Amino acid sequence: MNDKIDLSTIETLSCKQQVVRAVRFNIDGAYCLTCGADKKIKLWNPYSKLLLKTYGGHANEVLDAAGSCDSSHIISGSADKSVILWDVTTGQPLRRYRGHASSVTCIKYNEESTMAVSGSIDNTVCFWDVISRRQEPVQVLKDAKDTITSVQVTDHEVLTSSVDCHTRLYDLRVGKMLSDYIGHVVTFASLTHDGQCYILSCADSTIKLFDKDSGELLNTFSGHDSKDYMLENAVNEKDSHIISGSASGEVFYWDLVSSTCTQKLVHSNKKPVVSLSHHPTDNYLLTACEDEVKLWGVPKMEE
Amino acid sequence: MSDSDSDDENFILYGTPLDPFEEDEVPSKRKFQQPADQYAVDDHGRRRFHGAFTGGFSAGFGNTVGTPEGWTPSSFRSSRLEKAQASQKQKPEDFMDEEDRSEFGIAPRHMQTNHEFSGRKRPRAPRFHDGPIPGEPVLEQLVRAVHETAAVKMLRRMGWKEGQGVGDRVTHREKKKSKEQHKVYGCYMPPEMRQEPTQSSDSSDSEFEYETLFAPDDYEPYILQKKSDRFGLGYKGLSRHSVLGNLGGDERSHLVMKEKGKKVSIRGQAFGVGAFEADDEDIYATQDMSHYDFALGNPAEAKTSKKNVKAINVIEGFVKATQPMPSVPAYAPPALPRDYTPLAAGTRRSRFEPTAAVLHRDQGLGRHELTAEARGALLGEVPVPKTPIDTHDPPQTTSQTPRQTEMSKFLQKNINFISPNTETVQAKSTPDFISIKDSGKEQVAPIFKPFAGDPLKQSRYEMYLRDKDSVMLERERDADRLSEWERNREMVEFEQAAILYRPLSGAMGDRFTHASEPDDALNPLCAVAKSSINYGLATPEQVEAAKIGAYGLITRKESAWRPEALVCKRFNVPELGGARVEPKKDGKPNVSYSIFSYLESSVHDKESFTKEQSKFGGSKSLNFENKKDTSLPSKEKHNEVINIEKDKVSDISIDKPTTSQVIVSNTNSSQEGNKRMTVVDLFLKESEKDLQTKQQGAEVTETIEKFDKIDLYKAIFLSDSENEDINDDDTTAKDKDDNDFIVKPKNIERNTSPPRGIFANIDFDEINAWRRPENESGDNKTVENNIQTKPEETKEKTIDSINDGGKEMTGEVEQEETYGPKIPENLKKRLESAAIIEIDNFKPIFTKKNKSDDDNSLSSSDSWVEIKTKSKKDKKKKSKKHKSKHKKSKSKHKKKF
Repeated sequence: MNDKIDLSTIETLSCKQQVVRAVRFNIDGAYCLTCGADKKIKLWNPYSKLLLKTYGGHANEVLDAAGSCDSSHIISGSADKSVILWDVTTGQPLRRYRGHASSVTCIKYNEESTMAVSGSIDNTVCFWDVISRRQEPVQVLKDAKDTITSVQVTDHEVLTSSVDCHTRLYDLRVGKMLSDYIGHVVTFASLTHDGQCYILSCADSTIKLFDKDSGELLNTFSGHDSKDYMLENAVNEKDSHIISGSASGEVFYWDLVSSTCTQKLVHSNKKPVVSLSHHPTDNYLLTACEDEVKLWGVPKMEE
Repeated sequence: MSDSDSDDENFILYGTPLDPFEEDEVPSKRKFQQPADQYAVDDHGRRRFHGAFTGGFSAGFGNTVGTPEGWTPSSFRSSRLEKAQASQKQKPEDFMDEEDRSEFGIAPRHMQTNHEFSGRKRPRAPRFHDGPIPGEPVLEQLVRAVHETAAVKMLRRMGWKEGQGVGDRVTHREKKKSKEQHKVYGCYMPPEMRQEPTQSSDSSDSEFEYETLFAPDDYEPYILQKKSDRFGLGYKGLSRHSVLGNLGGDERSHLVMKEKGKKVSIRGQAFGVGAFEADDEDIYATQDMSHYDFALGNPAEAKTSKKNVKAINVIEGFVKATQPMPSVPAYAPPALPRDYTPLAAGTRRSRFEPTAAVLHRDQGLGRHELTAEARGALLGEVPVPKTPIDTHDPPQTTSQTPRQTEMSKFLQKNINFISPNTETVQAKSTPDFISIKDSGKEQVAPIFKPFAGDPLKQSRYEMYLRDKDSVMLERERDADRLSEWERNREMVEFEQAAILYRPLSGAMGDRFTHASEPDDALNPLCAVAKSSINYGLATPEQVEAAKIGAYGLITRKESAWRPEALVCKRFNVPELGGARVEPKKDGKPNVSYSIFSYLESSVHDKESFTKEQSKFGGSKSLNFENKKDTSLPSKEKHNEVINIEKDKVSDISIDKPTTSQVIVSNTNSSQEGNKRMTVVDLFLKESEKDLQTKQQGAEVTETIEKFDKIDLYKAIFLSDSENEDINDDDTTAKDKDDNDFIVKPKNIERNTSPPRGIFANIDFDEINAWRRPENESGDNKTVENNIQTKPEETKEKTIDSINDGGKEMTGEVEQEETYGPKIPENLKKRLESAAIIEIDNFKPIFTKKNKSDDDNSLSSSDSWVEIKTKSKKDKKKKSKKHKSKHKKSKSKHKKKF
């Protein structure tokens, strides 16, 4: 495992999007999406630094985006309160959903990309049926008492984190909602690949690992600085390391079990690394800092 | 949208259906076209452009090009040996169909005059402007630019003039000759015979003897008209058109059937003359001797004389009318009223200034009588600076001022919120508006004149506003005029007035505040205030657990959640079956796009409101008014009784009669009964107080004046809905507050009107009766005292009446009315004894109080029995309430146990 630790910058994309609000790998990790403050989404091939397409149509900053499982559509949420479904090849917006009363902060597809789940500053989570032509949300979750900061969707669960210091796990199969009080503002929640643990980025500059079933705290990772940023976290493809950005411009790698910091990647100097995305299957990491996106990985041997 | 609808929507469509236009869709630039629309076809429905000839003409007859039946295209080939023949040269026409050469084809073939010779100017697209009169302008119809044909032009060149004939110039004689020739019908005269008349005419035409040449007469073309009817030659039916040219009323045909299918008569002009004959004489005229000549001579003379007779005073071509034209009747202008004085238009100095007529107008709603300035002043607006003309017009104003004030005094309809404009003109130094900045301060410009009726008092008030100390000095000087008590009272009044008669901006200023932080709505990413303090919905235990890191059972909360059917479908998760734990609300999530739906609490919630009310009620005036209101003299009491009965939470202090009484006019008190105490009511009270202190004769007018203000204030401040809401909220909240007061005012916020809506069937008396035992344990003494202090007469009367009717009833009641479970025997005994006591105390007026007394003696669970003891009348009244009461009591117990 130690041999994988030596990550270095492979490519640096300067997105020219003022600020990159979110960077996301697509389903197979071949491409990535960057959501900019310039109201546009850009589709890249990060390995060849190739800008493939720019998607413009939002009326305000794009805060999150996700690619569909067949990579034919993109769904994006914006500060203009709308959610837009894009056609990847034409670059045209196919549908615009206006159900949210405030900025849409996070958005995810479900497993089959038949439905999009979006969270917003209006404290709601909306389910959008993206394959029929229904304009209203199919369902609205109004449990949160403050901004939804992140949404994760698995095959039968929806995990939301909110500024009201709660994470809520909605289980569709059982018909239950598990809300966990965390005690700190949860800026990002993600699930490990085995689906057994939450990884929560808290505003007290910690990352907490929770057991999904019992709601017990398994581990706490600290060392980074969150300040007031909505830092995201990620877990590597083998569930062995927890990754998070920091307000200091570094990217931290912690060992999941021992909670020791194994590596610090320096992205920039004193500029917060807010958004990051880990390759689903390989050891690649995308981090975004201002309008610069860096691809980290193990350099090829032949070089 | 119902469920079924949404189901339809959830179907996935494959293929390319025609997209219906939706507003949220990004509109595509190109419209979808049916394939059929994309091909051009000719007259016969054949495709015009197709295949290899796309862009060409339709190929051959019936598109036969290339087929054995049709023409085969061949390539042009020319070599040195075989030269291409000229005959093979192809023309575009070879590839054309007949329809290409038709009128609308690409190469139309028909004869037409070259436009240069067509006599028409180049056809210009007629563009008529869309003025008030549509269509082609009349002038253009009348005057048309003439474009001469080439022939006319050529003739002109050759010296032809309009009105002349074409040909060589001839002498007069020749011309005449030709004319005469023309007139001859029948056989030609022999030439020798013809000589004679020319000779004779020579003498008469001597002037034209010279060699002058004349142009020949114009040839008048004889136009043969096609015969379109089946009348006889030369016959034309009577014109359908009347004399005036339009179609006449009777549209009858010329052929009239007289009897059914038998006789046909023909109406119309008679047969005329022959084709080439001059107009015939009236053949139907009766022949008489006047038609014959009786003397030889020149008939021409007679003719001319005849003409002259006809032409007297009549222009040629016109006929004298037989009847004179009817004259247009002229009416005299209406007589002016005797007291009418014409007013020059210039007397009003601005459009917005009120005319004198405003004062005369009947009183309507108060707000309509405000001038623009007054309204502006109320809203704290800066008035438009007056034109300098005002100042140059002193005689006008002075003359107007006394009249206006006189009028206002007389009618008392002048609104006193703002001094008349004329006054402001005179006293230019005082500003006629209050800036919002100043409104919060003590010094309020004399716009609001609460004591306008008493100028002296008003002046003192203004002085008070300016400087309180100076008023003190003033008081010393006025000591002789006003008594000490009066002065003290006045000070109180001033104090209240200063609070109440603030301009709107000032009054409203209390209610609003500046945003403490800049509005960051535009910046979505501005830092959100950390809400870790509010903990979401976390319980204290959870907070504690989270603090020590003991996550798990305590911090976890499990609740039922039901995913929508469609969500399950899309997630490929089996829909939860019967476990309908959380009932669906509307079938579909009702998403409102309003931010207000996300607000948990509004500003107008109960707490904040009561807080505000108590603050408001804390002012002296309110307490004072309450006292006055509650302490009505015994005369009024009879009326008031009804109100109090309705009044659910009326306090004990209501009944205390106070000595310093104010007689309130009946109209006012009745109004109060139905209204909640508002700023308006305070104004009303204010006016009354004012009245008393003055003790003058002008009371009626004064009250009218006050009512004006009230109307105005109502219009501005109050809306009914607001009142109701507030009242409803307030009823319960206010209860507690009232008990805390030392001087217990009547709950002025109460809506004394009968409960409506959801409150219709709730017996508040009952509810309060239940509550009372706890609350009133301390107050019991006062209740008893109160009963004692009550006026003896009413008590006796009511008791008598009840004893008379009530006792008899009770027996019957017990027999007849046995609803509900049977009462246990031991309880019954107790009840009976209690009933007797109750009857002694029974007063229909204060039912609730009695009840509360009883409740103390009885166990609370027995309350429903108590109704039995009441008179039948009450029973009927409360029959409805009975059920609810029952339920209430039950539910109450449930809660308790």
